[in-house]
Amino acid sequence: MEVSHSVKERTIAENSLVILLQGLRGHVTTVDLRDESTATGRVTNVDAFMNVRLAEVTFTDRQGTVSCLDELFVTGRNVRYVHIPDEVDIRATIEQQLQAIHRVRYFGGRDKGRKEFPRVKHK
Amino acid sequence: GGAMSFLKRFPPPAEGVRHRQPDTEAVLAGRSLGAGTLYIAESRLSWLENSGVGFSLDYPTISLHAVSRDLSAYPCEHLYVMVNAKFEEAETKEAPMAEGEEEEDSDDDVEPIAEFRFVPSDKSALEAMFSAMCECQALHPDPDDEDSDNDYEGEEYDVEARELEQGDIPSFYTYEEGLSHLTAEGQATLERLEGMLAQSVSSQYNMAGVRTEDSIREFEDGMEVDMAPVVAGQFEDAEVDH
Repeated sequence: MEVSHSVKERTIAENSLVILLQGLRGHVTTVDLRDESTATGRVTNVDAFMNVRLAEVTFTDRQGTVSCLDELFVTGRNVRYVHIPDEVDIRATIEQQLQAIHRVRYFGGRDKGRKEFPRVKHK
Repeated sequence: GGAMSFLKRFPPPAEGVRHRQPDTEAVLAGRSLGAGTLYIAESRLSWLENSGVGFSLDYPTISLHAVSRDLSAYPCEHLYVMVNAKFEEAETKEAPMAEGEEEEDSDDDVEPIAEFRFVPSDKSALEAMFSAMCECQALHPDPDDEDSDNDYEGEEYDVEARELEQGDIPSFYTYEEGLSHLTAEGQATLERLEGMLAQSVSSQYNMAGVRTEDSIREFEDGMEVDMAPVVAGQFEDAEVDH
């Protein structure tokens, strides 16, 4: 389970639903863009700013023209929806992502790792 | 066709260039701009034709970029870049507006779009070009993002600083600040000590940081090093009566 190397990005993810999108890595999903084009492909990465990187993409532009793209990077600003695949357990995905972040934060044991935020809101 | 008016002459970017790809054709809305070099720099994306004119794109204006190897969609493998802006060019065929609306007359519902294709002669470079663009794009997160909670900025991100704050690090005061922290007794003691120092310091030189009668007038901050000219004799073998 990969987690961002950036403290800031980990924090943003932990406190927003971007963390769910990050858990979609490896899944095939459809992203609806702001201009009403859509891209369906395998999620390679989603960062804290909701920039989405997809591979093996079927891209349908706003006129309806379909093309294939090897790799696609959409800026977060231009993402309207990200479809969550049916096979994804949303709650489990979020928990797994949070655990991955906590493994990084508490590496070395509780109170020994990097104290990113002394006040932890959840257990 | 005529020259594209948005093409300008400028020097190739020198700093923060993550990837440089020579022998790259630039195509705008299906029209070739010629052969040149693509510079994927941290500050902006630039393309310069071999003649020296070119253009730059700012990352916040780039909606998406992609590697296209689908030859049925476009006859050459290329890096596709969609820009949220208008560029003056001849009639565009690739980005027509819906229902015959002119791009210029459209309201906010339809955004301007310009489609660039960068076709390198070296197709194997497309992966590196794509990745470099991803990295640079990530350096320019959307400042208008209303959803983002700006509370994430600031001190909390610096883990080291946070850890230091929890320790006991002494603070340093400027002279004026420090004075105000002394009790009346403390201030009197300070004055007495300074007086003793000033007297023991012969008139031949001034000790840094010691406020003598002369230096009091000149300096606001007693911590400053005294730059007043030194009376001749300091470095000679003069006999100094301490």
